[in-house]
Amino acid sequence: MKTTMKYIASGMLAGLMTLVSNTSFAACATDSLPASVAGPDGFPERALTMIVPYGPAGGSGQVAQAMAQAVTELTGVNINRDHKPGGSGTVGMTAYMALPSDGYSVLEHIDDASSAHALDSSKPNPASDLIPLVVSQITFSQIFIRTNEDRYTDWGSFVEWVKAQDGKATIANVSKEGSMERVTMKAISDATGISIQQISFDKGAPRYGALAGGQVDALFEQPGDVRKFLDAGTFKPILTILPEAPSAFPDVPALSDAGLDFEPLYRFRGFYVHKDAPADRVEWLQWAFQKAYCEQSYQDYNKSKFMHLIDSFRDTDGARELITATIDQYREVYREMGLEVK
Amino acid sequence: MDTLTNFINGTITLFGDPLGIFIFFGGVIGGMLFGAIPGVSMLTLAAILLPFTAHLSPEHGIMLFSVIYCTGVYGGAITAILFNIPGAPENAPTAFDGYPMTQKGQAGKAVGAAVTCSAIGGTVSAVIMMIATAPIASWAISAFGPPEIFALVFFGLAVASSVGARTFWKGWLSILLGLLIAVVGLDPVGGIERWDFGMPYLLAGIHFIPTILGFFAVSEVFVQVEKKAKGSYDAPKVSVDFPSLAELFAQKIAVIRSIVIGFFCGILPGIGATLAAFMGYNEAVRWSKDRKAFGTGKLEGVVSSETANNAATGAAMIPLLALGLPGGALTAMMVGVFQMHDMEPGPLVFLNSADLVWVVFSAMFFANLSILLIGFLETKTIINLLRIPFQFLAPLILLLATVGAYAVRGLPIDIVVMFIAGIVGFFLRRSGYSVAGIVLGLILGKIGEQTFAQAMQMLHFEWSGFFSRPIAITLIIAGMLTLLNSIYSAFFKKST
Repeated sequence: MKTTMKYIASGMLAGLMTLVSNTSFAACATDSLPASVAGPDGFPERALTMIVPYGPAGGSGQVAQAMAQAVTELTGVNINRDHKPGGSGTVGMTAYMALPSDGYSVLEHIDDASSAHALDSSKPNPASDLIPLVVSQITFSQIFIRTNEDRYTDWGSFVEWVKAQDGKATIANVSKEGSMERVTMKAISDATGISIQQISFDKGAPRYGALAGGQVDALFEQPGDVRKFLDAGTFKPILTILPEAPSAFPDVPALSDAGLDFEPLYRFRGFYVHKDAPADRVEWLQWAFQKAYCEQSYQDYNKSKFMHLIDSFRDTDGARELITATIDQYREVYREMGLEVK
Repeated sequence: MDTLTNFINGTITLFGDPLGIFIFFGGVIGGMLFGAIPGVSMLTLAAILLPFTAHLSPEHGIMLFSVIYCTGVYGGAITAILFNIPGAPENAPTAFDGYPMTQKGQAGKAVGAAVTCSAIGGTVSAVIMMIATAPIASWAISAFGPPEIFALVFFGLAVASSVGARTFWKGWLSILLGLLIAVVGLDPVGGIERWDFGMPYLLAGIHFIPTILGFFAVSEVFVQVEKKAKGSYDAPKVSVDFPSLAELFAQKIAVIRSIVIGFFCGILPGIGATLAAFMGYNEAVRWSKDRKAFGTGKLEGVVSSETANNAATGAAMIPLLALGLPGGALTAMMVGVFQMHDMEPGPLVFLNSADLVWVVFSAMFFANLSILLIGFLETKTIINLLRIPFQFLAPLILLLATVGAYAVRGLPIDIVVMFIAGIVGFFLRRSGYSVAGIVLGLILGKIGEQTFAQAMQMLHFEWSGFFSRPIAITLIIAGMLTLLNSIYSAFFKKST
């Protein structure tokens, strides 16, 4: 039981994540980049296409919209978003890899691409089969309960209550095989000794409805995705899956407060281009997407999703380090969980 | 009294502003047009307009989307009835009987019934939405979890075998084929890859829109081409005779039943108008004394489907506005409109933006009424599309269907799926199998599989857990009884 935790606790991400959970970021990460850069030979001469492997209303759809808007504000270049949902991001990735590598198409993707490659190396490695332009969102997860819940009111009483249910307690999440949610829940279960049934909802609305309607006992989610429920006082977090409590949730126990000794996995979203795209075009795209990260509209969007609580920015090299470490970490966990790593 | 005052205030705000009036009627007409043209849909229009709503006031932006939602759901009925091409999935059951009515020279009646019943369903649902949004939303999510939704799907499937098939067994084989197609792709709960044959695009599953277009539009073109080749082709008679008041009044039970069903399906997060239309149609079949007439051009089929899908529109706004839970794709896009204006739908909207909510409620009420007015005016014109000679109409249908199949996800495989469905549908129809049953199996199968797996997780993989959930077990028992009755009829009654 403890071994899995130790793998997660190996801290491979610890050096990379540079969590600054109680710091506000006065200066933006790419303020030092030039305000404008001319594209090579007039590139881009037409609108860019952004493949988004998820629907328009979810977290990926929203960050794609916000980044496309920021890049357009910065450069005047339009970006057409082409949503290709399905297969947990596989369909969008496959469609993108089939496009010409001329720099006119970019890909939005999340950490699922890294975990998919970790489980099956025949799937593209976002760090080497693609060039990361920027990682623009890195966020943490929390466990939520209903605010009017009276069977338990905080993490301690929740753990006690779950233990008393003898495996009958439930938590809603996206518990697909090898997902960040399932791996993290295993670490929590191992560390606390609780047994909790994970109910997998692949869409947000039914997942949140399940908690609001009392169909499940708790919810595993990222705080930005349920902000409206937090603002409305419908849900409240009882555990923050970060080593230390961030400034926005000072009273919610973090891992160290709860005595849970493992390094958390993070949800991250970024933008990529073909590895074979012309180098000068890639250079311009790197500037555009990294600089756009600091556009006011994008920063406002990130803040509205609690993405300002930890350092959400990674440039190309930082993104590669993050992805590579994530893949390594997932592989170790998968092996420990007995999953076949191809 | 407060409700009436709020409604009047919302109406004054809506129509007291020239830009608001322009956006309202733009949304009404745009929704109808995009709903009616296969290949595009109200979702296409919504996606195009989404970025522009940032430049509108929140009231105008949300109002525009809610109006498009009401009229777009209706618009798809026209092509379903005239050409067997449902403009949207929620109009597919409308084609089951609407198109046979066109072939019998009763297109005017079918379209007229669709116009009237869409307006009635949508308007009643809008009124209920105004009166009781918050309590209904809370009740729905408390009473209906995955076990209940699975039971509802089972209840619906139990009667589906009698839709359009020549025999009971062919009806069930059609449904089972649909259920089989539904399991292609990632398993919705564990993410396990199934039936992808090494093709990554199949991991996204077989989408029901290309399938519907193939089974209905493409196979119909093939059927008509065959008739043309054999010299037995009869062009549909063009009729603009609307249903009489007596004919419509005779449908009152079907209308009331479908309003209840549509409203009920609409308030369940993630379910929406498509399930509503299929369930409305299925219940019409279940309670009919003449089940075999369904699928052959029965007015009640059109009435039940179109009432239910529009009744779901107002209902789908309830979880969105009261809880922030979108019921379907278009309401999910509305979340994006809210967010563009730094707002989030949910309980706080009623506290912080009550004016906006009532402008939206008023707009949806009047949008549904305008279906009646504009729909009747439009119908007189649009039915004349049937006068287009078949040699021009057939390629146009194939072109629109191809565009429609591709437009769903931008995947070429969807075009392949559509043509395969068209060819398979052509042969299955000749053999007495039901393409409607296959589509029912596919759509209900996707929802049913997911909710069944979730239900089993929630019930700790114990079947007896269903007995602890009164609504779920009631629906399952009712479905079983329907099934047993069908089997009994198939074996012991001559009529089947």
